Parts: sequence; structure tokens; C-alpha cells
Amino acid sequence: MSHYPTIFIILFLIILTSLFDTINQLFLKTSINSLNLNIRSIRDVFTFIFKLIRIPKVWMGFTFCVMSLFCWLFVLSKADLNYAFSADSMHYIFIALGSRIFLKEKVGFKRWVGTVFIIVGIIMITFSNY
Amino acid sequence: MYKNKLTLKILFFLISTDILETFTQYCFKRSAMPQSDVFISNFSDLLIFIKPIIGSGFLWMAFLSTLLAFVIWSSILSKIDLSVAVPIASSSYILVPLVSIFFLGEEMAWLDWAGISFILAGVIIVSSSTKKEKIIIP
Repeated sequence: MSHYPTIFIILFLIILTSLFDTINQLFLKTSINSLNLNIRSIRDVFTFIFKLIRIPKVWMGFTFCVMSLFCWLFVLSKADLNYAFSADSMHYIFIALGSRIFLKEKVGFKRWVGTVFIIVGIIMITFSNY
Repeated sequence: MYKNKLTLKILFFLISTDILETFTQYCFKRSAMPQSDVFISNFSDLLIFIKPIIGSGFLWMAFLSTLLAFVIWSSILSKIDLSVAVPIASSSYILVPLVSIFFLGEEMAWLDWAGISFILAGVIIVSSSTKKEKIIIP
């Protein structure tokens, strides 16, 4: 088992998965924000999707989505599911940071408190699997 | 009025998204499991790694289950606030470890459960900080 990647390489790859996923979400969110969302019928849904897939940013987001999936599958091929899934909750941290920096959304005090709880939890499970 | 009235029907759909999410992760894990000894150092390794996974039925079941969960989730969100929906939908943080123990033979220490409790608390605090959306009932 000595040639197996350590928990820190796994953790790094989970961070990468979450990061790619967050970038995808940010691209998607800015694309959706640029369209006016006024959906009344099923036809509006298709018009909306059609408009969405013509935005280059959506495809950039999709590329990151695929990279995130590959990374995740690689993590799961090596790590325990219970560890990987729990540690993947760090996307809450990236989403909070990303929405603040790129979308200029306000991130309240309560949200930072929740984020600290998530970080503490991830540190605990990482040491438990060390 | 606020969209925070949790009916039994909404609760049922919320729990079903949890179960679907857990099923998705189980399928991802099963599709990747046979590749546990493949290591990636260049692009052709990536193909060696990914090819059998794409051919695995588990991966496609995971996609299908993700799609279904997405459809249910989107329709729930028009009926209930995110601050109510997320804490209930977060029970996958408990369901996934349980599935890992019973169906994948993984072992968990008390520190894992303690860490998961912190994560769960964090997710609930984060989601309760979302703004309440006011809706008008015609």
C-alpha cells in the first residue's frame, strides 16, 4: 500500500474537483444573469435553454464541469466514498469566496461562520483518515 | 407570503433528491472502483483510466439519477425557500456514509462522524443565511 497516494494528494484532488465545479457554477451564473429569466410556459424553457447554449461562457463552464467529473472519478477510484463525499463539501467555501469576488454578492457573517464549521469538519475527517 | 410552508408532499420530494444524490455517488464510486490501481502521469494514462468507466453502466445510472434529482430539485425550489430545502436535502451527508459502510464495506471512526457533524452544522448555517424570497400568491 506504500505506493498509494497519501490522503493529502487525495485532498488536493478533491480541492481541484470543488474548484473546477465552482468555476463552472460561476460561468453558468453570470451567463444566466445576462439573460432575462421570464418563464411562463414550457416553450419559454426551450427558448431559454437555446439562448443559453449559444453563450460561449456556458461552454467554458461545461469544460470545467467535465474536468471536475474526471477528477472526481479519479478520487473515487482511490479514496473511500465517505471521506471524499464529506470533504467535497468544501465547494461551499469556494462558492462563498467566488460569489463575493466575482459576482460581488454580499456574504454575511452567518455564512462565514457556517464556512468555518465546514472547514473544521473537513480537517477532522482528514486527520481521521490520515 | 414566504415560501416556507413545508408540506408532506414537498418533504417526500426533498427526501427523494437525497436518496438520488446518495445513489449517484454510490454509482460513481462503483464505476471508478475497478480502476483503483491505475495511476495517471500522461494523457494516454487518462484514456486508459477513463475508457472502462465510460463503458460502465454505473456511470450512466449516475448521470440518469443526477438528471432526475435536478428536475425534482428545480421544481421544489419554486415551492419552497432554499433555507428550508437545503438542511433537509443535506441528509445525504449522513446517507452517503451509511451506504459506504453497508454496501461498500468502508470503515468509519468516531472522528469521522464528529467531522461530518461539523460539516452538516456548517451547511445548515450557510443555507439559513439565504435571504427570504417574498412571493406573491395571485
